[in-house]
Amino acid sequence: MSYLNVENLKKSFGRNEVLKNISFSLDKGEVLSIIGSSGSGKTTLLRCLNFLERADSGKITVGDKVVFDGADEKNKSEAEIRKNRLRFGLVFQSFNLFPQYKVINNITLAPTLAAKEQLKTNGEYMGVKSLKEAQQLINQNAEMLLEKVNLLEKKDEYPCNLSGGQKQRVAIARALALNPDVLCFDEPTSALDPELTGEVLNVIRELKDADSTMIVVTHEIDFAKNVSDKIIFMDEGVIAEQGSPEKVIDNPSNERVKAFLSKVKNS
Amino acid sequence: MEQFFNVTGNLLEGFGQNCIIFAVTLVAAIPLGLIVSFGSRSKCLPIKSITRTIVWIIRGTPLMLQLFVVFYIPSLVWGISFDRMTAALIAFVINYAAYFSEIFRGGIEAIPKEQYEAGQVLGMKKSQIFFKIVLLQVVKRITAPMSNEIITLVKDTSLARVIMVPEILKGAERFTMQGLIWPLFYTGVFFLLFSGLLSILFKFIEKKLSYYEG
Ligand SMILES: Nc1ncnc2c1ncn2[C@@H]1O[C@H](COP(=O)(O)OP(=O)(O)OP(=O)(O)O)[C@@H](O)[C@H]1O
Ligand SMILES: [Mg+2]
Repeated sequence: MSYLNVENLKKSFGRNEVLKNISFSLDKGEVLSIIGSSGSGKTTLLRCLNFLERADSGKITVGDKVVFDGADEKNKSEAEIRKNRLRFGLVFQSFNLFPQYKVINNITLAPTLAAKEQLKTNGEYMGVKSLKEAQQLINQNAEMLLEKVNLLEKKDEYPCNLSGGQKQRVAIARALALNPDVLCFDEPTSALDPELTGEVLNVIRELKDADSTMIVVTHEIDFAKNVSDKIIFMDEGVIAEQGSPEKVIDNPSNERVKAFLSKVKNS
Repeated sequence: MEQFFNVTGNLLEGFGQNCIIFAVTLVAAIPLGLIVSFGSRSKCLPIKSITRTIVWIIRGTPLMLQLFVVFYIPSLVWGISFDRMTAALIAFVINYAAYFSEIFRGGIEAIPKEQYEAGQVLGMKKSQIFFKIVLLQVVKRITAPMSNEIITLVKDTSLARVIMVPEILKGAERFTMQGLIWPLFYTGVFFLLFSGLLSILFKFIEKKLSYYEG
């Protein structure tokens, strides 16, 4: 059994069946890239993993924990859903930093709120018992993450003063601050000028070296090929082909994959 | 000179009424307007359409007419009547809550849904998202339209004279009837000073909120 298992995931918007029976699995520390043409359901899949959309049916497990089961979804409390969603992180195409907070506070906001809640209910957060100590931990961790994405010197800037690539790196640090088991990226470089994509892709590469489990929706075929352990090609809500980069990118058997790849390579 | 002090004292007394209307309307219409803005964004269609219809009626008719309605209709229909000030306050609060609600609605709707989603994927609760992420961004967006509306309110308070609330213009009219014209124009100074102070306050708030963009 793999670390992440997605089984028979289905999602429709009205009559539009956007995900038709999606199943795949991923081992811990592996990187999965999802490619496919526009409208094939890539974003919807990530949104279902992060509970921004509720799948109609199917099952998602992380480790040995069932985080989503279409069969008994209705019995779940809001608190339970919030807890399950924290197993996944999501980095958006459009960064979505909070403009009124400094870079460092963009990263510490959610962990601080979580710490307050846990101190109230359990009297403890990550081994410490007071809010002040918790905040110290959270701050240290945030600075460590900023260092990791090479932006420590920008910690007191507001997002409006950062370049797109810097914003996206802050967004990655913000997602990492909650220690997700699986970090998802939805076209993390599509909103960036070409000369800024490199710095973001490098951060993702470094995360791979640090053994993070990641799912990356991308149109950067070369990047996908180099960094992924596994590639999924989606087409109209189904997985048309999946396997190693060599198999999917270099020797695709599916005609749609071939057509897609030649279009992307020529553009 | 003595006449000047006499007139000034008299007008000040009237202006006190304007200030009461201003303060009560502001304090009551802001929370009421917030509730109304939630109503007009409700997912429940009846609530939404009723709220929007009421807002449309209130914004589509003159405040002066609404003052007459609140003052006269209850006594004509149910035989109860409000005193003049109460009637004025009710009309002003309802009228301004309708205007404020539209400003709030615009401000809330201008926040991209991605801001909510960013909070959600970070495990934040709905209330945390509203208070920690959305609210300040809304406040920043609505400061300019709210300052316009609030300065309009200062001037609108003089409409209360149509139901005989003894506000400043009413007071000045008494002098006019005695043949003394200048107090009528002198009232403008009071309004100017008050709205000038408010403008300074709003500039200050806008500056406070200009530390970030977006
Ligand atoms: N909230 C929604 N309501 C209705 N339909 C939706 C919604 N979200 C997505 N869809 C539809 O689902 C389909 C798949 O959309 P999705 O965004 O998942 O595609 P995608 O593969 O991410 O495309 P792209 O490469 O353009 O980002 C599209 O037909 C889209 O119109
Ligand atoms: Mg997409």
